[in-house]
Amino acid sequence: MVAIDPTKDYYEVLSVSPLAGETDIKQAYRDLARRLHPDTSDGDPDRFRVVQEAYEVLRDVALRTAYDRQREMRGLSAQAPISIDMVLSRPAVPISTATQMLYVWLSLKATSELRPAQNRLNLALVIDRSNSMYGVRMQNVKMAVTDLVESLHPEDRLALIAFSDRAEVLAPSMPAQDRRAFGAAIAALRPGGGTEIFQGLRAGLDEVQRYANATSINHVILLTDGRTYGDEDAALTAARSATAQGLGISAFGIGEDWNDDFLDALARYGGGVTHYIDSVKDVRNVLRNQIQGLSGTLAHRLTLNLNLAPYARIQAIYRAAPYMEVLGHSSSKPVALGRLVSGEPIEVVLELLVEAQEVGERRIARIDIEAEEAGSLRPMQLHQDVRITFKQNPEQHQVPPKLLNIISRLSVFQLQEKAWRALEQGDTRQATQYLEAVATRLFDMGCRELGHAAMLEVGRLSQGSDPTGEGRKKLRYGTRALTIPSK
Amino acid sequence: MAQKGSKIICPSCGAENLPGTLFCVQCGTYLPSGGPLRTEPLPEEEGGRPAHVHKEGADSDGQSRAINIEVEVLNTGRKVLLSADREILVGRLDAAHGIFPELDMTTDGGLEQGVSRRHARIYTRDGACFVEDLDSTNGTFLNDERVTPYLPYAFHDGDVLMFGTMKMRMHIHTGMHRNS
Repeated sequence: MVAIDPTKDYYEVLSVSPLAGETDIKQAYRDLARRLHPDTSDGDPDRFRVVQEAYEVLRDVALRTAYDRQREMRGLSAQAPISIDMVLSRPAVPISTATQMLYVWLSLKATSELRPAQNRLNLALVIDRSNSMYGVRMQNVKMAVTDLVESLHPEDRLALIAFSDRAEVLAPSMPAQDRRAFGAAIAALRPGGGTEIFQGLRAGLDEVQRYANATSINHVILLTDGRTYGDEDAALTAARSATAQGLGISAFGIGEDWNDDFLDALARYGGGVTHYIDSVKDVRNVLRNQIQGLSGTLAHRLTLNLNLAPYARIQAIYRAAPYMEVLGHSSSKPVALGRLVSGEPIEVVLELLVEAQEVGERRIARIDIEAEEAGSLRPMQLHQDVRITFKQNPEQHQVPPKLLNIISRLSVFQLQEKAWRALEQGDTRQATQYLEAVATRLFDMGCRELGHAAMLEVGRLSQGSDPTGEGRKKLRYGTRALTIPSK
Repeated sequence: MAQKGSKIICPSCGAENLPGTLFCVQCGTYLPSGGPLRTEPLPEEEGGRPAHVHKEGADSDGQSRAINIEVEVLNTGRKVLLSADREILVGRLDAAHGIFPELDMTTDGGLEQGVSRRHARIYTRDGACFVEDLDSTNGTFLNDERVTPYLPYAFHDGDVLMFGTMKMRMHIHTGMHRNS
């Protein structure tokens, strides 16, 4: 029988992370055992015994769990690399016959345990050069790209791809220090042709793939001002398989003619973000911020898995920070949360529908988070239980102010998303009502510019015209930014 | 708050919302939950606030002495137990302007009784409790004496604070933190 000694840090003994998997632990043990074995020339019987003891405990799931718990109770456990904070809208629900609504707010934050690895960027910039980019747009993009090349570390890699009806590799992936080659490539960028995103995306992914490794941050940035027709599905499939290989995709839309639904989906599959660039002068800043964000990547491929009790259902899953987004409406599939960047927690809000149960405390959901540490690709797992109490007459509970504040802002974003969905279904009246509500709430919150944008669209809809692409994008990307700045 | 069956009826647009909903699904109006006013039993062990507050409030030396303030609203009899780990804002909730008081007097008739949205703050320092009026319209009174805005006034167990015309008795509980 193995005795557990919670005062010893077995993880430290084996030099593995508290989140290490079975294979890592086995490997670490083998390496140490070979080195320290008393039969070898520089063997160390005492350390060998401790290593053996550590392995005996950590190899066994039951023993390891017991050990972790004992460590935790003594306050000895090492800090996990990612912390989960959770707030519920109420701790107890009444046992009435009605379905109850429960909000769960989660915040995923990197602890000091996770440090940004000094990872090299491995980027491809895929630039739309269709006819519509002619003039000021193209000039600004060229300036922004020149700026980007200069702001990269000399050892970061960059590829430049231009696309219209077909893709052209202006500069194959090479270290950013070769400024002259990039200068020539940028000069060769001339507008002309249509917009077919898939070709460009494919070429960008290929370039990044060529030099992708575990320690680099591999990302494709798509810059477009138009709609692609017919190749959306191919592009989304490519994005999905790229994510599986550790490549990310972000999409920047310039002007008002691009397809926000498509680019949002592309970035979501690709684990990146979408940006709306309404003034072309902003290309440079947005690009620069994106690069900074990428360099601060601490963990990739965060996914959230929900395991619900049979009497609980998910109504919707939202991202509440760093920007707002509808993440899904069911718990059947894992939800991709993208990258965790230093100083920028990922917040998620779950809307749970709970059916009445007998009196008592119950676990209504188990939340599992998986991620890979940037740089090492070391897998990380953590979980959180959601428990509530079913009561005959629960005491009146004040909703935590912080949660209320978040849900309040989220509800504005929700309403305008509902407006666009209603419009797609041809229900103009309903869409108008939603947008009016959005305008009212925005003015209340002091967001005058956004409020005016909503009022303008309300005016157009009530006169029987279609909403403007500009208004729609302003509202979609404006309300999603109504997050509470993290402290 | 109007309740039909167990659904919450939005006071602004009349839409039905599931119990527990915080903002109307149809128009986004804030739906103060809780239904009719009633005397509230004292929250049990975990207190009236979410557990994370305790965690964040714990002192670095681990020897944290928690001060809980139990507020008894005299006209409604409602009792609220608040952790004084952090500053407590007393006022009326106004989601539109981002005012989310820890002690929200909306359901006790705060508006009618002259409670401002940001009325006063309560906090502890070195184990003592203080109240500070935030230049409220109708003032804050400590044992019937009006306090000067923006100046801290110490209060003790059993003292009566009046916000506008709303009276509350403060009960101060000092205890050790449970291990969280």
